[in-house]
Amino acid sequence: MRRVFGGLGYYGVLVVVTLLALGPTLWVMASSLKTTGQILSGGSLLPQPFTLEGYTTAFKEAELGRYLVNTLVYAIGGTLGALVTALLAAYPMARYDFRGRNTLVATFSLALAIPVVGLATPEFFVMRELGLFDRQYGMVIFYTALFFPLSFVILRAFLVSLPPELEEAAVVDGAGYFTIVRRIVVPLARPALATVAVIVFVGIWNEFFFANLLMASSENQNAQMAIASFRTQFTFDVGATVAAATVVMLVPIGLFLVLQRQVIAGLTAGTTK
Amino acid sequence: MPARRWRRRRASVPRGGGPRPPRGSGWPVAVSIVPGLLLVGTFFLVPLGVLAYTALGDWGALGFRFLGLDNFEAMFADDTFWKAARNTVIYSAAGVFIQVPLGVVVGIILAQHVPGWKAFRTILFIPFVISGAAYALIFSVFYNARYGLLNSTLDVVGLNRGHDWLFSIDTALYAVTATSLFILGFIIVLVMAEIASIPRELYEAAEMDGASPLQRQLRITLPLLRNVIGTIVLLTLLGYLALFDVVFILTEGGPNDETVSLVVYTYRAYINGAWGYANAVGIFIVIVGLLLIVGVRRLFRIGERTL
Repeated sequence: MRRVFGGLGYYGVLVVVTLLALGPTLWVMASSLKTTGQILSGGSLLPQPFTLEGYTTAFKEAELGRYLVNTLVYAIGGTLGALVTALLAAYPMARYDFRGRNTLVATFSLALAIPVVGLATPEFFVMRELGLFDRQYGMVIFYTALFFPLSFVILRAFLVSLPPELEEAAVVDGAGYFTIVRRIVVPLARPALATVAVIVFVGIWNEFFFANLLMASSENQNAQMAIASFRTQFTFDVGATVAAATVVMLVPIGLFLVLQRQVIAGLTAGTTK
Repeated sequence: MPARRWRRRRASVPRGGGPRPPRGSGWPVAVSIVPGLLLVGTFFLVPLGVLAYTALGDWGALGFRFLGLDNFEAMFADDTFWKAARNTVIYSAAGVFIQVPLGVVVGIILAQHVPGWKAFRTILFIPFVISGAAYALIFSVFYNARYGLLNSTLDVVGLNRGHDWLFSIDTALYAVTATSLFILGFIIVLVMAEIASIPRELYEAAEMDGASPLQRQLRITLPLLRNVIGTIVLLTLLGYLALFDVVFILTEGGPNDETVSLVVYTYRAYINGAWGYANAVGIFIVIVGLLLIVGVRRLFRIGERTL
């Protein structure tokens, strides 16, 4: 009897928390299938009649597609950049002892601890001086840098825990340094690389603060800026806005649902190590 | 000379150690580290230097003029700065005293592997991967006075007064605070991972000694979660210290600065071209962040093992 009550209590908590956590989101997603008129009149929770009007407006008139492509460029470019640079740096710093290594590890890890939003103006200044301000490749470089420390810390923690025998055997066989990295380290580090890739991709996909700070022209905007500006534009179309927001959030949600294991493993490793 | 070298190598051994790079790989190692070093130097260290220096002057589109600590004096004398600081404290307090305990409780429940735990873990993680901008839009519609879900729900129970939650001075801060309180996925996942590493024997022994399920959670699980709860508290505090997207998109800090956060406040200064002043606030944020890291690590003795 007590077990049953205990169980009911658990589910009570879980259901209430789930409703609070996702209720508004699900309602907005459902609203994206309503006509703007139906949204504005309040009332029913479910769309009737069902329409894709909001989506057509978002893609046709607000050019959501272009912003999604921009976001994809930043996310893929930045993820690749962070993965490559972080793996290159993390491997020797996990494996070998050399002069200055500990200082470097400390510096790279400290970069993860700095609240970067405090650096807003200097980042703008650096980007402008380097000619990277309001450039798509500039944003790719910036995101590479922004996610380098996190990628470095996760990859290094993983590589430290990897046994060195395979690489030692390859050294004996006379394999060069970069051959070892490419043929042995990359395949062994694949799980960690996948984890970092998902986390960084979603991080860049969702990034708003620096996108807003470091891009001026509307053709470079990412999708987050686009949906934020939908709201403030004075031709505010609720239907199109909720449809656009739904598309923008479905990408990371979908990725998470497919790659759940990697995300969860990575977050656990990245924060507790 | 040999003695110095010996000492240096020994000093670096406890933090991982490892062999020297194999013969001939000195250059490849150096080349591998340069890109990372350039990135960190260009986008973290140089900006930190720029931040520290320009905070001491009047910096804008027209150039730089050294002023000393004037920006900091102006900052501490500005009521809006204090409002932003107060709000940031309120957001953080809600995070630490509502969001974190809620996430820990749900994590402990799901770690019992009640039927359906995987589904709940997945579903409750979803809000964590939704961007701040999308979240802001969701809640701007949710709180809308005319057609928002909140007022139409209140309508059902006859309590709808057509209240504009986000743009009334008396509710704006609470409305913005509430938006992120139920983003629990991250906390749940960390708590569950930590509980999975607790030896089962501990619970079995306690059960034999007649401890009730609740006692077992309070006396065994909770103390062993100290480390991870410390980490969660730290990350929560750093997250709210950096709070921008939701506030900026929902209210831009209004009405009457009731919801302004420290980062929104800096951003305003930046947009107004008062870069030196913006950087004084930036330094304040960076220092608070570093103090939080040191303070919370001490408070929770993060890193010390309990088992």
